[in-house]
Order: sequence, then structure tokens, then C-alpha cells
Amino acid sequence: MSESKSEAGLLVYIIPFLAIVPLMHNQGWDSSDSAILIVAVPFVTFPVILVAGQLYNGHDTWKNKLKEGGILALGALGTSLSAALWIVYDYFDALPDFGDQHSISQWLEWVSFDLLQSDYTLTSETNILGVGVWVDSVTLMLLFVATFLCFLICWFSLGYMNTDPINEDRNHRFYGEFVLFALGMFGMVLADNFLWLFIFWEIMGLCSYLLIGFYYWKESAAYAAKKAFLTTRVGDVFLMVGLFMLYDIYGSLEFSVIFHDPSLHGAVDSAQLFWALLMMFIGAVGKSAQFPLHVWLPDAMEGPTPVSALIHAATMVNAGLYLVARMVPFVDVGHHGVPGLEDLGLIVAYVGGITAFMAAAIAFVQNDIKKVLAYSTMSQLAYIFTGLGSALWFYNHDEHHAAVVVFGASMFHLFNHAMAKGMLFMASGSVIHEVHHAHDHLHHDQGDHEHFDPQDMRNMGGLASKMPVTATAMMVGSMSIIGIPLIGGFWSKEGIIAETWLAALDHEPLMIGPAILVILTAGMTGFYMSRMWFMTFAGEPKSDVVEHVHESTPWIKEPLIILTAISALGGFAFALLGATDYLSSSYGDAGHLKLHESTLMESVIYQLEHAFLPENQNLRLVGWATILLSFIIGPIFAARIHGGQLAEGESATPAVSWLVRISGKFGSQDVSSLSESDLAEALENRLYFDDLYEGLLAKTVLPMASFAAWFDRNVIDGVIKQIESNSVAGSLQIRTITTGSARDYILMAAVGMLSIIALIWGISS
Amino acid sequence: MIDPSWIAGLGVILFGIGLIGAFTRKNAIVVLMCIEVMLNAANLNFVAGTMYWGGSDGWVFTAIAIAIAAAEVAIGLAIFLSLYSTQETISLDEANILRN
Repeated sequence: MSESKSEAGLLVYIIPFLAIVPLMHNQGWDSSDSAILIVAVPFVTFPVILVAGQLYNGHDTWKNKLKEGGILALGALGTSLSAALWIVYDYFDALPDFGDQHSISQWLEWVSFDLLQSDYTLTSETNILGVGVWVDSVTLMLLFVATFLCFLICWFSLGYMNTDPINEDRNHRFYGEFVLFALGMFGMVLADNFLWLFIFWEIMGLCSYLLIGFYYWKESAAYAAKKAFLTTRVGDVFLMVGLFMLYDIYGSLEFSVIFHDPSLHGAVDSAQLFWALLMMFIGAVGKSAQFPLHVWLPDAMEGPTPVSALIHAATMVNAGLYLVARMVPFVDVGHHGVPGLEDLGLIVAYVGGITAFMAAAIAFVQNDIKKVLAYSTMSQLAYIFTGLGSALWFYNHDEHHAAVVVFGASMFHLFNHAMAKGMLFMASGSVIHEVHHAHDHLHHDQGDHEHFDPQDMRNMGGLASKMPVTATAMMVGSMSIIGIPLIGGFWSKEGIIAETWLAALDHEPLMIGPAILVILTAGMTGFYMSRMWFMTFAGEPKSDVVEHVHESTPWIKEPLIILTAISALGGFAFALLGATDYLSSSYGDAGHLKLHESTLMESVIYQLEHAFLPENQNLRLVGWATILLSFIIGPIFAARIHGGQLAEGESATPAVSWLVRISGKFGSQDVSSLSESDLAEALENRLYFDDLYEGLLAKTVLPMASFAAWFDRNVIDGVIKQIESNSVAGSLQIRTITTGSARDYILMAAVGMLSIIALIWGISS
Repeated sequence: MIDPSWIAGLGVILFGIGLIGAFTRKNAIVVLMCIEVMLNAANLNFVAGTMYWGGSDGWVFTAIAIAIAAAEVAIGLAIFLSLYSTQETISLDEANILRN
């Protein structure tokens, strides 16, 4: 603790950064103009960190005062956060109406050009891609999530990265790339046209690659980085094709131009638009790690844990969801949308349903704490995709009310999931860090680091008494992800499941597939998240390392505490304020964050009634089935297999001790026979998707590549080498006439001149 | 007034002398002198031409050629000095390391 106190003084250095925004406010700037700061400050900071890190590596001030750039990064992200909060404050109650100009600020025309028409005249109107900011309720929500989590995770990194000797003298790379990533995310959220969105999207992809490969000397990390980059690249190529097609249809990529009237007075061919949107959706599938482009996300856990928390749980993987959310105006037939696109909604919902189920199943057998969370991320993002798929379907059938509910629920789940999952990854990082530290402390003289995996939950157990803050954080986060009633994700997940069932039962029989998958997944989520918690924190210690674990690293606890509060209470609070309606107001009637009823108490009762006793009989059944599966059945099975009391004499903090005690009440079940079955083996091998893809690549791409290599070596290089050897032989012949004697050269010059004179003479006469 | 054709003829003779000298002599300085002779032969032809056709272009060219010749001598002598300091000779027959 004393170490922690002395380091708090370092926060003095970020005060100048935090002063920027109040200063601008004082100077009479608008919050919309300060939006550029959100991207510009990180843009200026990241090269500073990288260059200064190279120059002052190992320097005392740089290392201990500035934490190898970490404090600078924290300051820059603090500026972004304060500017973002300013925008949120200014706009959350005064959003422009849909269909009007949403770009709250447009600074300059970035690209403008005339087009050559078929009759060889130039168009009089120029096609412009501007630089500006687009704000609606989804932007505000994501902007807050991104800036807030970037700031907190950077804070966490100061403890996690700087106390690990393996990172010494190379943390500036981490912070530089971290800040570059943050600028990519902020820019993508703020962009007011699809081209800028795509550019920032790619910046994030690059940073994801760099940060997964942070420990590049480990072969697995280098492989994971390449895999992540190439897999998302497959999606990105499709996204690019989709944007080309979109430009072909509308002649612009500006949101304000396209969303004004996506049907172009009914002139748009729905088949063409369908393919454009499908291509863009494949891009989203790649970025958000959905089936069938999901293989990269589990491997991406090779990166440092803050990177997993930020990029692969809380922000970048949401980019795909954001892109799909931006497709709503195209299909919203109530607002000039194009009818006949309901297949798109079905495809999105099916991809989501399949991924949710598959990822949850694979998470059953993972023993690596981060891998469980990675599959959980995939599964939860898939929930949101399912919700968005239903929303697209409803919008396309002009079922406006249902569409608004499920779209809002999906975006709300994005918020809840980002907060909870960012925190869960940080908590897992805390566990890994302390276990690793304890192991080093215990075995520092033996040097058997290779055999000990600090991420393996089979080495943990009973940590509840050693790490009270982390255990509480992880419990609340897991509850939010599972959807325990009244906590965090419950408020949003119920909405997604209920509305998907509504679509299946009342409207479209084909929706029954995703509907069944998501409700099963709810129960499975209850199992694997509880399993992770019980394996890590409950029961008796499974290795001697646990004895020596202490929660002592500075900078780690504060973000966990803040996010625990938000995860526990944020869901309910925002549900009371009508977040679902508000978040869907991007595409519909203006919404406000306010209580539904006049008093707080009435609102609470209204929301509870709404969640537990909806009027529709089917929805009531679905809701209670979900609660039963996720709250009762899943956790009880997990407790039977992995739960247990702490060792004698250990006591956990009251916040979690009840859970540990309950977990021991269900007896213990031996599942060793089950874990040796073919199904378990298939799940452990991730359902053979990696093998399948590698086999496919080996059969298709590699022969093509080796043929291309042969063609290059023999045909192209052959021709060039032939030319080269001929000219060498020729010059060997010619060079004999260079004697080196000046006399000969003078003779040659004279003869040459005489022949020229003779030639001219001959021609002229 | 001398007939310009005499002057042109003198130029041709001087040019021939210079050319033969440049071919046959070994000493770099003598070769340089021969080149100067050839330049001056060309100048004489300018003079002859100007006398024959009138105008002042030839005078100007001549003046420029003389200036260039002076500069050329300076450079040539500098080359020979450094040639001597590295090869210890100014015989053109021995300074042939760029052959083949």
C-alpha cells in the first residue's frame, strides 16, 4: 500500500492535460469543436511517447516519474475523456432529429472532385468527403464507453505492465501503440462518413496486430498476431467491396447524404443494396470475431492482459456491432428505408445465434482464465448481433415498436458488456499478475518458469480470501455477463432474448433458430462464467503458489472498484432512465434519458413489472425460462463440479463469502468420464475450426502460392537473368576497346567527328 | 586587308598540328598545349568567318572560347598535379589504370 501511495503523486503530471478542455471552454469554444481534441491529442502524443521512449530509455525520470510514457498516455486519454464527457453533456438531451444534419461539426472538405461523364463534360456538383463529427445516441454511448475504458485500462496498465520485469524498457512501445489504438477507436466512433470509419477501422486492426505481438519473441504470440491480422483482413476486404458498392449506389459515403433518403425515392435496387450491406456485414463479422471468422480472438489472448481488456473485449470488437447498427437507416422502411431486405436481418441473427452457442460450448472446457473470457466475449457479442438481426428484420417490416426495443436493448447490452468484460479482463489480469508474482517469489531460485502457467485455473482455487477486491469485481462482472436478475446485463439481455422470441413466434418462423440458440446460451453462460469464478476463487488451493498471492500491485484496484460499481448498478440505473428507448432514438423519435414514471419508486415498480411480468404470455414464459436457465441451472451445475469451501482458517470478504459458502452446498460431482468424451475433445480443439482452416489453406492457398513462387523464380526471373547474362557477355566483348590510353580516345573522338562531318556532307549534297 | 581564306587556312593548319601533337606526344602538358592550339585554330576560323560575313557574333564567340580555354587549362593542370602526386608520372602512356 505504501508503494501505491507514493505513486499517486505522479498524477500531478496529467493535470496539464486535464486542464486543456476547461481552458477551451473558458475561451468560448463549442463542445463540437473540441471534438477534434478527442482524436488530435492522442495523435500528437503517440509519436512523442515512441520517440521519447527511444531517446530516454532507462533514464530515471522517464522510467519512474513518467512510467515509460504511461503517464503521458494517461494524460492524453484523460483529455479525450474530458472532451468526450463535454460532448455527452452537451448533446445527450438535445440530439438533432433523424433525417436532418447529424454532423454537429464539419471542419473541412477533405476530398472533392469532378466526375467525367459519358458525354465528356464534368459534373458541376463535386463529390465531397468531409472531415466532421456525427453525433447521435449510439455515438454518445460508444464514445463514453471507449474514452472511459481507455482511460481506466491505461491506468490499470501502469500497475500491470510497469511492474513486470519482462516489459522493462519497452513499455513505451506498449503505451505508444495503446494511444494510437485509442485514437483509432475514437475516430471510428465519431466519423461522419463510411470512408473515415474504414480508415480508423484499419488503424485499430494495425494496433491489434502490434499489441497481440507485443511479446513477439514468443512464437505463439507472433503466430497469433499474424492470424488475427489476416483473419480480420478477410473481413476488411469484403467491407471495402461493400463500401465500393455503396458508393456506386449513392455517389457518396457521407452519413448525412446517404441516411437522408436511403431509398432515393424508391430508385434503389434492393438486391444491389442487399449485397452491399452483406459485404459490409462480413467485415463486421471479421472484426467482431463471429462465426465463421471467429478463430483469431482466442489466440489474440497472447497479448498483454490490458490489451485483451481494451481491444479484444471492450472496444475494438464492438466496431463490427457499430457498423451493423449503422445499417439500420437502409432497412428502416418507416423512414425512407428500402423494403425487401429482411434476409439480411435473418443472416445477422443466425450468425449471432450460431456464434453465441458455439462459443459458449467451447468455453465449457477452457482452463485458461483468459480463454474463457475470450469465448465469453464472442458469445456475448453474438447476442448483440442476434438482437441487431432481429432489429433489422423488424425495421424492414415496419414493426417500429419491436424494432426500437430490440435495437435499444442490443446497444444497451453493448454498454453493459463492455463495462463488465473490460473489468473481468482487468480482474483476470490482476489474478494472473499476482499468481505469477507469487510463483516468482516462491521459485525464484529454481528457474522452472516454463512449466508453470499463471493463467491456468487448475493452478488456482481458493483465491477469494487472498484477493478480496478482485474476487468481488470478478463476481459482479460475471453476474452482469450471466444476467443475474437486477444486475447489469440482465436488463439488456432479457430484451434481446424476448424480442427474438417475439419475432420467431409472431412473425417469422425462421427466427426460431437464433431464438432457441440464444436462450440455451443464456444457461450455458451461467455455467461457464460460474465455473470460471469457482475454479479461481472458491474451493481449496490447487497449488502451493496460492499461499503467497497478495493483492499488492499499485494502480490495479481503482479501475476494478469503479467498474464494479458501474457493472452492478449501472444496468438498473440506466434501465430506469429508459436507456433502451434513448439508444434507439438514433433512428426514430427523439428520446430523452428520463424516468418513465413521475417518481422514482413508481419507475422502479414499472421497470420490475416490465422485466418480470410482461403482458405478453409468451414473453413472460421466455423471460422466466431465461432466468431459470442462467440464474439457477447453469450456476448450480458449475457449483456441483467446481465449487467448494475455502481451506481451513481462510475467510473471504463478506461480499463474496456467501457465494463461496453456497458453492460448497451442492456436493461435488466427478466429471472425469465426461471430460474424456469425444465431445469434450472436440470442444477442446475448438470444434476443429483451426484445423479445418489450416487444411483448407494448405489445399488451396499454399499450392497457389508455391506455383506463383515457381513462376516467379523460373519464368520471370529466368527472362531477366537471360537478359542480364547476355548483356554481361556483350560488355565483356566491348570493353576490350577501352585501352586506358588518352591517345586512343582522342583518335576515337577525331574519327567520330570526321564521320559525323562526312555524314552531314553526304546528306546535304 | 588579308583575305579571310588565308586566315581560315592558317586555322586548318594549326588544327592539324594540334591534332597530330595530341596524338603523338606522351607528355600530358604538351598534349594540353596541343589542345589549346586546336582551340585557337577554331577561334581563327571564327575570326575568318566574321570577317567574311560581317556581324559581331564571331568576336563574342572568340572571347568566350578564350575564357573557357583559360578555365580548361586551370582544370587540366590541377588534374595533372594530382595525377603526378598519385602516379608519380605525367606520361599519358603510363596513366592507363581505367583500361578495359
